[in-house]
Amino acid sequence: MNNLTAYLIPILTATVSMSVPLIFASVGGVYSVRSGIMALGLESMMMTGAFTAVVGAYYTGNVWIGILCGMAGGALLGLLHGLLSVRYKVNQVISGIGLNLLALAATTLLMQLLWGTKGNSPQVPSVGIYIGGLSVLVYVMIVVVIVAWLVLFKTRFGLRLRTVGENPKAASTVGLRVHAIKYTGVLICGTLAGLGGAYLSLDHMDMFVRDMTAGRGYIAVVITILARYNPISVVFCALVFGFCDAVQIYLQGQGIPSQLIQMLPYIVTLLVLTFGVKHITPPAGVGMHESD
Amino acid sequence: MYAVEMRGIVKQYPLVRAVDNADFLVKNGEIHSLLGENGAGKSTLMKILYGMEQPTKGEIKINGNVVQIDRPSRAINLGIGMVHQHFMLTPVMSVAENIVIGCEPVQGLFFDQKAAVAKVDEMIKQYGFRISASEKVKNLSVGEQQRVEILKALYRGADILILDEPTAVLTPNEVEELFQIMRKLKSAGKSIVIITHKLKETMDIADRVSVLRDGKMVETGLGMEGITVSDLARMMVGRNVELQVTRKSEGIKEAYFKVHHLTATERGSQVLKDVNFEVHKGEILGLAGIEGNGQSELIEVLTGLRKTDSLDLYMGDQPVTGDAGDFIQKGIGHIPEDRMTRGLVLDMTLEENMILGYHRQSSFENKGIFKSKAVRSYVNEKMEEYRVKAPNAQVRLNALSGGNQQKVVIARVFSQNPEVIVVAQPTRGVDVGAQEYIHNRLLDLRDEGKAVLLISADLDEVLCLSDRLLVMYDGRIVAETIPGEMSETELGLLMTGGSQQKEGKKV
Amino acid sequence: MKKFMIFIRNMNSVVLAIVSLTLAVLISGVIMALCGYNPFEAFGAILVGAFGDKRAILQTLTQATPLIFTGLAYTFARKASLINLGIEGQLYAGAMVTAVVGVMDFGMPMAIHLPLALGAGILAGGLFAGLVGFLKVKFGSNEVIATIMFNKVATCLVAYLVNYHFLAEGSGSAQTEKVLETAMLPRLFAKYQLTIAIIIAVGACILVKYFFEKTVVGYEIRAVGQNQLAAETAGIKAGKLMILTMFISGAIGGLAGATHVLGVDRRLMIGFSPGYGFDGIAVSALAAENPVGVILSGIVFGALRAGSMVLNRTTSIPTEFTNVIQALVVLFVAAPLLVKEMLGVNLMKKLEAGKEEAADE
Repeated sequence: MNNLTAYLIPILTATVSMSVPLIFASVGGVYSVRSGIMALGLESMMMTGAFTAVVGAYYTGNVWIGILCGMAGGALLGLLHGLLSVRYKVNQVISGIGLNLLALAATTLLMQLLWGTKGNSPQVPSVGIYIGGLSVLVYVMIVVVIVAWLVLFKTRFGLRLRTVGENPKAASTVGLRVHAIKYTGVLICGTLAGLGGAYLSLDHMDMFVRDMTAGRGYIAVVITILARYNPISVVFCALVFGFCDAVQIYLQGQGIPSQLIQMLPYIVTLLVLTFGVKHITPPAGVGMHESD
Repeated sequence: MYAVEMRGIVKQYPLVRAVDNADFLVKNGEIHSLLGENGAGKSTLMKILYGMEQPTKGEIKINGNVVQIDRPSRAINLGIGMVHQHFMLTPVMSVAENIVIGCEPVQGLFFDQKAAVAKVDEMIKQYGFRISASEKVKNLSVGEQQRVEILKALYRGADILILDEPTAVLTPNEVEELFQIMRKLKSAGKSIVIITHKLKETMDIADRVSVLRDGKMVETGLGMEGITVSDLARMMVGRNVELQVTRKSEGIKEAYFKVHHLTATERGSQVLKDVNFEVHKGEILGLAGIEGNGQSELIEVLTGLRKTDSLDLYMGDQPVTGDAGDFIQKGIGHIPEDRMTRGLVLDMTLEENMILGYHRQSSFENKGIFKSKAVRSYVNEKMEEYRVKAPNAQVRLNALSGGNQQKVVIARVFSQNPEVIVVAQPTRGVDVGAQEYIHNRLLDLRDEGKAVLLISADLDEVLCLSDRLLVMYDGRIVAETIPGEMSETELGLLMTGGSQQKEGKKV
Repeated sequence: MKKFMIFIRNMNSVVLAIVSLTLAVLISGVIMALCGYNPFEAFGAILVGAFGDKRAILQTLTQATPLIFTGLAYTFARKASLINLGIEGQLYAGAMVTAVVGVMDFGMPMAIHLPLALGAGILAGGLFAGLVGFLKVKFGSNEVIATIMFNKVATCLVAYLVNYHFLAEGSGSAQTEKVLETAMLPRLFAKYQLTIAIIIAVGACILVKYFFEKTVVGYEIRAVGQNQLAAETAGIKAGKLMILTMFISGAIGGLAGATHVLGVDRRLMIGFSPGYGFDGIAVSALAAENPVGVILSGIVFGALRAGSMVLNRTTSIPTEFTNVIQALVVLFVAAPLLVKEMLGVNLMKKLEAGKEEAADE
């Protein structure tokens, strides 16, 4: 097993790298669910973010503007999800999945319209700044996680957000602006998920590929739930998935079929879900409205 | 000058007029009871005052000034606070967090937890509420949670307090504590409106009373001198009502439903501790006690819904074992304490609810497929017999009133001729008229020789219907008596664990 | 007037479905126009591709078949208030097992081989989903997470099995051997892909409707779905029924995969499902979770797919527009309030006034 030590650093680096987009999206998911809105639409927010990031970088030649565009794109989808959930009181499972379908269709369509391609966009500038072997966005992520935790549990806004998520009726009877708070929660979610998507297209890669997120949004939903809606725990859960992803490459080199390795993180999750974790209760007011 | 003046209030919904040209005036520093049956419009009227609903017509004045209350925060600014019947609390958060939410103290960017707890503790001391500001609300008793709700209103500077059916979930002692708090608040200059359908409480605490019936204000601002309970009942219902249905038993026969050595544990602590009693045929055995002392668990055990550590259960000399389905088959009928969560499937039709639990009978099904004609005629028959008011048997159950919904549950169980009936909170959320009917049906059953176990937090109900009475506290039977032998105070004391004299007598 | 108003009220979900579809089409048309394409040309091509001639209609029905199955599968689980997001995985599980049984050469006649192969697929899908149900009941696992996980496990497992154990000899792509003729679903019309699978699908929908309306177990499942506590109090065994419901839901999903393998491809090709499992959720939504409505809804979505194939062939308009239409339909169906707002509040006011009239009479 000499190879192991040689592979250790790359595996750890890859672990972190694979986890970053998941962490951004899941922390966003935490804010969404904590404000009472299910986050099944994370996939759409990530995908849109990945796409708009590339669009931004393509037309301005500047990767940081691209990142901002990615956040804006995700935020836009967050807003849509908010509108559907808050104003139009949709079934949140269906609206989440519907938005996911829409994002996939829309991004593919726009790619076709803008660049005439169906598979991937043209190349764009990539982030390419590394500190200690890790992309600078990793450090951004650490800051984001800490800030997210502080805001959620230590500020007035966080307290109000959590109250709205637990009991929107109660929140409204003390005069809280329930709608505004829910929108804020879902906008934060979209912005962060969009940032996660932007990481995929502008840091991990340097272009947008059709169906770029490939279901990571759903994994992010799972992480949000497993982490009991706590930004710090999100990091650990996401690292497990990232680790499995990273170990894949190493194990493949050892001759184990790649498909079996790909199954690993999902089986791990299932086992954790079944045996390791007691009933996880989401905020009591998820999916509810103040006028129920 | 009045603290609150509501004049000519009308609330029109598409199909119904909930409040019909009502006037309501509250004097400063008085306790005013707003009385009416369920659905009479009292909650709606007060929701209008609190800004949760908007009046279709009418004017509101607070302390002489005409105001528009378009949302609760406006009402709060005007000094109006509301304590809801169903608490608006966040169980996972602390008392302090629940109280200060919306006007939290801050330190820089952060929520000042310490200051919040300190402020709330101060208020708790001031009004003598005896709760802890840092305790999580889910760990509090119902009475304590109510105090948190009251504090919420007071914290926001409420001078006018609206209490919506505050005693619905309290024991006699807690009710007395609440009344003391109310008197204290009154002497501090607060004006209090208590929405209730309980006549006795109006008699005990109110200075003046207003009575709503079908949205119309039948009496407004009536002083309480010389008013009797029957007067109030007549105003509420529109006719004379028999308030205390009592019929002495024709003859109590042999012991039939026997419960011995019942012990049950949940999550490490004992919820039922060596419970023993026997219900006789032709008897109503009442079980009095505050909710949360093991009654729910006892009911679950006796209806096959809970596993026990030990239990000898007999019907006659036949042992009873199995699960809920088995118990129902053996002839144990169950009227659940909360019909909405346990008794009925509100989205299903009346028909489907009427056979729930008994749907696998050969008269209703054949080889797994329903005999729709047979079911239909059965249901129609029962609807008539039990006077269930509904357009037809195919309506969704949530279209029926609470009283009629309860009648469906009762019709369903009684019609199957069970030998034993476990009845819990039979008239909760049911208006006075239907209450009379349900009590009479229970007595009918008893006179037919059935064994009836009646569990109710409504002491009046238990006292007037039971032939014998048990008191439950902390998972044990702490007393056995005949209604009338002990005073309500003594009973209340036993219900809260006081008085060691009458310990668990073997029955 | 009164009768008409009651009719409108009861027709609500159908009206909503039709209106959602119309709105989705209109909005997509506008977007197309904004992008410089001719919406009439596009919709013309789609309609021709979906209903233009016998070939088109058969293609529509062929495309609709798997969608009807997956839509029914999702709908079935919903009756017990379960969310089965794992239909994609159950579909693949069924397809895999069916493909394996389909190539078994024991000299069986079609009357045995075909039902056996289908049955195996049904069982595989059912067990997959039933396991999720078991985990939920016994361990309290969240079925949303569990089914998403199982999806991935299933697709990975199938990919592994095909590539390492059941690969077709001399074939360039990842697929199994062709199934034996005795296991192939009979085609309804020569030279067209439509098989009796469509009949099985429609039959299944009608069977499910009957199951929930007339049978005792169907009644019990509905009770569990609408108020589990009340059902348990009435002696209904909620846990067992939830597992059964997931099993049947997965079985129908497995049937989707099985019929595709035996009917269309006649073998298992990796990646044969362009997301049929998730589309099932869309189909179910448009059908307002009504088993018979799923038939029509499946045909609508099948029509979109068939139409989009022709759109691709005959025009230069990107076919992604049909995916956009599909997504919009799902969103509108899930948001009746949005639809009502777009139609103008006036219509609803008229309906409300009608209700009041009806009550006063």
